[in-house]
Amino acid sequence: MTPVLEGKNLSKWYGQVIAVNKVSFTLGAGVTGLLGPNGAGKSSLMKLITGQLKPSQGEITLFGERIWNNYGLLHRIGFCPEYDNFYERMTGAEFLAALLRINGFSEADVQARVASALVVVNLTEARDKKIGAYSKGMRQRIKLAQAIAHDPEVLVLDEPLAGMDPVGRHETIRLVRQWGKEGKCVIVSSHILHEIEAMTRNILLMHNGQVLAEGDVHQIRNLIDKHPHNIYIRCPNPRRLAEALIGFADVVSVRFNSNGDGITIESRKPDEFYARLPELMLRAEIDLDEITSPDDNLQAVFHYLVK
Amino acid sequence: MSKPYSLAKGWSDAKTIAFLTLDTLFWSKKTIFVGLISLMVLGLAVIGRLVLSYHWVNAPFTSGQVFSLLMSTAVVHFLVVFVTLFYGTALISEEVEGRTITYLFLRPVPKGVIMLGKYMALLWTSVILILPTVFLSYLILYLRADMNPFFQDVALLGKDLGIIFLAILAYGGMFSLLGAWLKHSILAGLIYAFGWEGIISYLPGFTRKLTVTHYIQSILPHQDALGALSQLIGRRTEPMEAVITLVLMAAFFMATGCLLLREKEYVLEQ
Repeated sequence: MTPVLEGKNLSKWYGQVIAVNKVSFTLGAGVTGLLGPNGAGKSSLMKLITGQLKPSQGEITLFGERIWNNYGLLHRIGFCPEYDNFYERMTGAEFLAALLRINGFSEADVQARVASALVVVNLTEARDKKIGAYSKGMRQRIKLAQAIAHDPEVLVLDEPLAGMDPVGRHETIRLVRQWGKEGKCVIVSSHILHEIEAMTRNILLMHNGQVLAEGDVHQIRNLIDKHPHNIYIRCPNPRRLAEALIGFADVVSVRFNSNGDGITIESRKPDEFYARLPELMLRAEIDLDEITSPDDNLQAVFHYLVK
Repeated sequence: MSKPYSLAKGWSDAKTIAFLTLDTLFWSKKTIFVGLISLMVLGLAVIGRLVLSYHWVNAPFTSGQVFSLLMSTAVVHFLVVFVTLFYGTALISEEVEGRTITYLFLRPVPKGVIMLGKYMALLWTSVILILPTVFLSYLILYLRADMNPFFQDVALLGKDLGIIFLAILAYGGMFSLLGAWLKHSILAGLIYAFGWEGIISYLPGFTRKLTVTHYIQSILPHQDALGALSQLIGRRTEPMEAVITLVLMAAFFMATGCLLLREKEYVLEQ
């Protein structure tokens, strides 16, 4: 499969400040979460991806073409900026229409696309209201609408959930997942871990301008040998379960929970552990009430990688 | 594969960008300031009319002479400069400061077309704001029972309007370039307009030919005191040469602005 977006040894610095430091990545269709704390370089990377910034070093290509000063590529990109800035005197519909006209659509097409984009972001009723009078959530949604109105193949969304109410967040998360399933290449950034986790398992983890990890959260977690995978098992007889588990080489430690209703084990090979667990439970005649992995989320991955 | 970018598409995109810019240019605090300067020019016209009507000055002034004085000083060297300075420097820099430039830069149009569209908006705004002031000044100074001077000097008015448009074209190009180039473009523009232009154009030698003022003074149908001074220092440029030079200056400023916009990175502050 041809990669949609490819960064090779990509760096961007502003004077003495390095924003993106020798980053390489390959992204295809689907949703990729760009994750990292504030100042990690996410926004700079997004600006490099959308051709707003010129790489100081390295190369970034979209569909095999360089992006910087390649305006012909821009009809294939939709960008939702982090900034809350607009042409305040315009109505939502006027704003979308003006940008679609610049995109080169005919007047009939412009009107159809404006209506369609407003339906998607649920702003039809506010279409003729001035953007200056929009609420924070509505402004966020109109920003999203201008990114999708021309139906781009690549969507770059910088903190798209900021300022949205819970309903709006839920709906936007659903839309992002849907766009990913439709085959668009969606890159979505956030510094809030559970937001990304709700949208995708495929992440690009950034810190101090560098990509710390790339790929599936679960796989990334498995790669971290220094930090064994925590698995919490709640069962009526934790002592017997501990006895059965302690002999396996991948099990680093077993801890009893303070209330005595289960154990937390640390395994270096969680996949193997999960594979043999059912047979083990049957053989040792142990019932199981609950099995969870407190580590198998972005918070844990992020915590381990930046520590 | 994207379609090749045609001239017709460029013109259409530039118009859309111009309309988008017009709204933000016109409905800004600058318009109040420009309105005040226009009122000041009109106020001078009213004073001129009172002087003429009530013979406050013991000198044989005509409406034409007062109008000429008003055009060559208050309008061309003051109103036009301020209007193009305030709006021209704001074209790109305000969108960068307001961070709305992202919406334009992320569209499939060459950045040069964005610059041209914005320049078109500047020309329209300047014409809309300056020409009524000139017309009204003319009416104030010429309307009377004897309408002969009014009709005799209409050609003069037409020529003045043409010169004003050329001045808007050249100064507008220069200040648009500064706005795309520098962060504190309004300060640089003030230094250029009242430092470089104000001093160099009255110095002897070739350097005065590097000012917009020199070429405007060369085609003004009437002379102000400064124009007369500059004529003492050196010859005027031939009118046709001056007109062509002003158009070429505007084209040069715009081409440089387009190139700059294409190559410059605008790092929007978080």
